[in-house]
Formats: sequence, structure tokens, C-alpha cells
Amino acid sequence: MKLSLRRDGRIVRSGAVLAAAALVLSGCGGSDDEASDGEGYGDVTVQLSWIKNAEFAGEFFADTNGYYTDAGFGDVTLNPGPGAIETLVASGEADFGLSNAIATAQLIDSEDAPLKIVGTKFQKNPFTILSLADGGNILTPEDLVGKTIGVQAGGNETLFDALLEVNGIDPADVTKVPVEYDPSPLIDGEVDGFLAYLTNESITVEFDGYDVANLPFADNGLPFVAESVIVNERTIEENPEMIKDFLRAEILGWKDALADPDEAARLAVEEYGADLDLSMDKELEQARIQAGLIVTPDVESNGLFTISDTLIEENLATLAAAGVDIEADDLFDLSLLTELLEEEPELAELPDDIELPTS
Amino acid sequence: MSSTLTTGEKPVKARTGLAILRSLATTTLTMVLVLAVVLGLWVAGLAIWDVDEFVGKGPADVWAYLVSDPDAAENREGMGGLLAQTLEDATIGFVVGMLAAIGFAMLIVRFKAVESAVMPVAMVFRSVPLVALAPIIILLAGRGALTVAIISGVVVLFPALVTTVFGLRSVSPQMRDVVTVYGGSEGAVLRKAAFPSALPSLFAAIRISVPGAITGALLAEWLATGKGMGSAIVSASRNGRINETWSLVVIVTVASVVLYLVAQLVESAVLARYGKNAGKA
Repeated sequence: MKLSLRRDGRIVRSGAVLAAAALVLSGCGGSDDEASDGEGYGDVTVQLSWIKNAEFAGEFFADTNGYYTDAGFGDVTLNPGPGAIETLVASGEADFGLSNAIATAQLIDSEDAPLKIVGTKFQKNPFTILSLADGGNILTPEDLVGKTIGVQAGGNETLFDALLEVNGIDPADVTKVPVEYDPSPLIDGEVDGFLAYLTNESITVEFDGYDVANLPFADNGLPFVAESVIVNERTIEENPEMIKDFLRAEILGWKDALADPDEAARLAVEEYGADLDLSMDKELEQARIQAGLIVTPDVESNGLFTISDTLIEENLATLAAAGVDIEADDLFDLSLLTELLEEEPELAELPDDIELPTS
Repeated sequence: MSSTLTTGEKPVKARTGLAILRSLATTTLTMVLVLAVVLGLWVAGLAIWDVDEFVGKGPADVWAYLVSDPDAAENREGMGGLLAQTLEDATIGFVVGMLAAIGFAMLIVRFKAVESAVMPVAMVFRSVPLVALAPIIILLAGRGALTVAIISGVVVLFPALVTTVFGLRSVSPQMRDVVTVYGGSEGAVLRKAAFPSALPSLFAAIRISVPGAITGALLAEWLATGKGMGSAIVSASRNGRINETWSLVVIVTVASVVLYLVAQLVESAVLARYGKNAGKA
């Protein structure tokens, strides 16, 4: 029964895709004219940190509701991750990237990457060590000792090493094994813990019928911002208006996403992530949980994407503990966002009816 | 093989010594040439495709990372440990893969039926990407030496098997007849006639297998063990440690070329010992 419903859904969905494609095709002439006005920024690429699920609901809204177009952008390519986000932005392959403070700071520190964070979506990072309640049941950093933890090579490895570092755990006491992003090694019992997102794998595994345990990085000595907008310093120098216009579109998109989680999930499941076979329940849950990472008391008073001075201090302390010495000015450049919010103060207002998870 | 001498009347020892010397000279020259070509392609490639300098590091950057930077000694030490691990893993894969290939090849030549049993399986292992097989192999064999042996061995096995079977079958009917006439069994044919005439093919298999074993070891390290260069390259590139990435790639490439040439050296020494016809594959 369930299967046939899904089948039907698919047919409707592919019909919708066809219709959308027809619209795009017929609309081609029009958008070409607009692009040739010379006013716009042309096509840009945004490197996402993950596959196109509800994590990027705001970007989907910005695209669907034309906020990118209004801001003067041509085609906005939302490039799915995971990938070497910093490298892509530093080398000019992508114009904007969504990464986190630790990964970006580490690259600025070690490779002199010409990058800056100009705003952030998640005030609290969603990284967690996910385990099964009747398996590893890892609830405190000390529980990591003697366990086998699956960690994805790359930025996540840096984060995991930092987690051990700030909690004074000897890396020799924990077995770190390489995994990719599929949590089945956890379910198979091959690893005791698995580096994951609270807003993603954690929900997926729970919805598969397992009792999960989480060790959120943010609550265990590693508070830092994530899903942060990173840009190349070249863009800041040469095209600061483009960054402001991009941030405006992002803020508008995320206001819509926070106000309407149902539509946020629908955009992910049926449109942008249609070929990913996402589950509506899971995406809805993700949209609900991540609202709590995006909207904090600071954001309620300062606006979306802002990073308060206290939060910057907290980030730097985390970074220092993780062994990355960096000054605030070398990592963050929030001047453009501040300018934008001074010019258009209404952008800083949040929609009234945001449902925040009670935690 | 070009290194084989045609002067059949010289004593075997002198012939062998000369062949090795000659081969050593050719090998060194080849090495220098290969490195020059690779360096040229590297620099030209970066220039032609106008790669952004943040990702497109050149030979000078790698030199700095490994030799002239203040941290160079530390960097080299790190890489040395990684390389040792990878060579160890590659050796496991090479030995397991080659032994399996030779064993199966003998069975295939001896018993026709084995071929139709072994070949399809070997083919499946070869054509299904190891990235896709890895989770199953890890689940069955864990993340230790056994998995390294399987993953790296599989990369070595198929080309080595095909080449070795071809070699063993290349024994001439006359040779076979001589052994049979003197009352030798099928096994004796294999031992006395087929193996010597299979030597060139066997060495060709070894030469292909050396870089293959390294590739296999890198794969196993990336997907299963998380140690050695295979894991370090992925980690460095995903973390944007670009100089480190390039340096790791350079070291693995040089190691692979050097080992290939060493295999070639051994080959010409052995083939020279077996006489002029042995080298003519």
C-alpha cells in the first residue's frame, strides 16, 4: 500500500518536473534579455556542504521565490556536497560556500587560504557523535575511550581530533576508522560511534527504529558556527555589493523557510532533492530541529546570519583549544552584513510564528 | 626484450653480468626520462589550463614542502612513515595477488574445467568497482591485514592471472613432446617446459602488478584501514592541505616508477640467465 502511494507520488512528481522543465524552456528567452542588461552579477555557484535536503531550505526558497534573481544573479547553481568547500571557494571554482568556522579557520591558518566568513546560518553546530543506545551509548566525552568511531576523512577528521583535544582525551585511546557518509557501519555494529549531523543521520537512524544516543560537539567543549557563508577575499575587495545582495537573498529565503517548515520539507523532497528519494517525515523533522540551531536569542535581536561578538569570542576559544591560532579579523568579516542590516533594518526582523524545538 | 644479447657463444656468467649492467644503464636513463616527461607535463598542464595557484601547486612548491621549508624535515618524516606503511600494504597485496595468480594459472592450464570456474569470478572482482565492494569486504574481513590482502590482491590478481596463463600455454608442442617421450607426466611438462617458457609472461605480470599492488594498497588504506598514504591523500585534499596533497602524490608516483623499474631490472637479470630465447616474449 505504502509502495503504491509512493509510486503515484513519483508519477505526479515527474509530471511536475516536466511542467517545470517546459516553463524553464519557454522562459529562456526572457531570462537571456535580463542577463544582457549588464546590471546583474551573472551566474554564480554556491558550494553546499551536503546533498540537497532541507538543510538548504532557505536557499531553495531564495531560488524558487526569485530572491536571487531580484538581487541581480543569473543562474544560481547550488552545488551539492560533501566536498572540499574551502578549496573550491579559495580557487574561484565556487563563488560562495557553506562551511564551518573550524574547517575554514584551519585552512586560513595552514594554507593562507584567502577566505572569510561573512555570515552564518547555524549559530550552533549540528555535529555529533551518533551511537546506538543499546550499542556504544556514547553520552559523555569519556565514553569515547576504548571505542571505535567512524570518521569521514577531511574536515570532519579535524573536528573529531579537536573534540578529543578539548576534552583531554588521548587519541591513542580511541580507534578512529575511515567511513563515508552512510551510517550503516553503525547499524551493522562495525563501529560504536559515527560522526554525524544532529539534523541528519541522527534523525535517519532514529526513524529507522533505533534508539540513538548523541554527543553533540556544541555541548561538549566545541561551540562554533556552521553552515557559514564563506567567500574569497578577492570577492570582498572587488565586488562587495554582490556579497550584500547574496546575503539579502539568503536572509529572505531563510525567513520563508523558518516560517513554513512544511514547504521547506516539500521543496527538498519533491523539487530540489527529488532524485534523492528523501523522506518527508525526516526532512520535516530536520527543518524543525535546525530552527533551534539557527534562531537563538542573539539572532532574535540582531537578525539572521549575524554573529554576535560573544559568539565570535567563543569560536576563537574553541579554535585555540583545537590548536588553531587565529585572530577574529582573519576569519570573520561581518562588515558587509552589518552594513546591509543598517541600510535595510527590516531584514533583521524575524517572522512571528517560528516553531522552535523545545529542548 | 632489448636487453637480451645475441652473442650466444659467450659464457653464461659474462653474458648475465653484461646484460645486468646494460639493463641498469637503460633503467636509469628511463627513470630520468620518465621524471622529466612527468615534470614537463605537470608544469605545462598547470599553465595550459590556467589552474588557480591556490590548488595548482608546481614542482617548486613540492620541493619547498619537502626540502627547503623550515618544517621540511618534519614533513619528510611524516611522509616517510606513511610511505613505509603503504609499501608494507602493497607488499601484502603483491605477494597474495601473485601467488593466487600463479596458483590459479597452474590449475587452469592443468585442468580445463577450472578456467570456467575461476575466470568469471576473477572477472567479477575486477569489473565491480572496489569502492562498491569495499563495505562488504570490510564487513566480512574487518579492517586489518586480511582486508588489505583482499583489496590489493584483487587489483593484482586478474591481469597477472591472464598473463601467466598465456605464458604457461605458450610452451611449444615440441618441448611438450620431448618431456612426454621421456615418460614425463602433465605435471612434469608444467615444471620442466611450461614454466621456463612462461618466464617472460610471468615477469610482464610482475611488472604490471607492482604499480597495481600500490594502487590496491592505496584503495585499501582509504576505504578500510585509514593508515598510510591512501588515507593521507584523501584527508589532505579534502582538508585543503594542498601542498601536502601534491607532495604525497609525487612521492607515491616516484615510488611506483622506481619499483616498476626495479622489477624490470630483476627481469632482465633472470631472463639473461635463462638464455637468449627466454627474453623473447
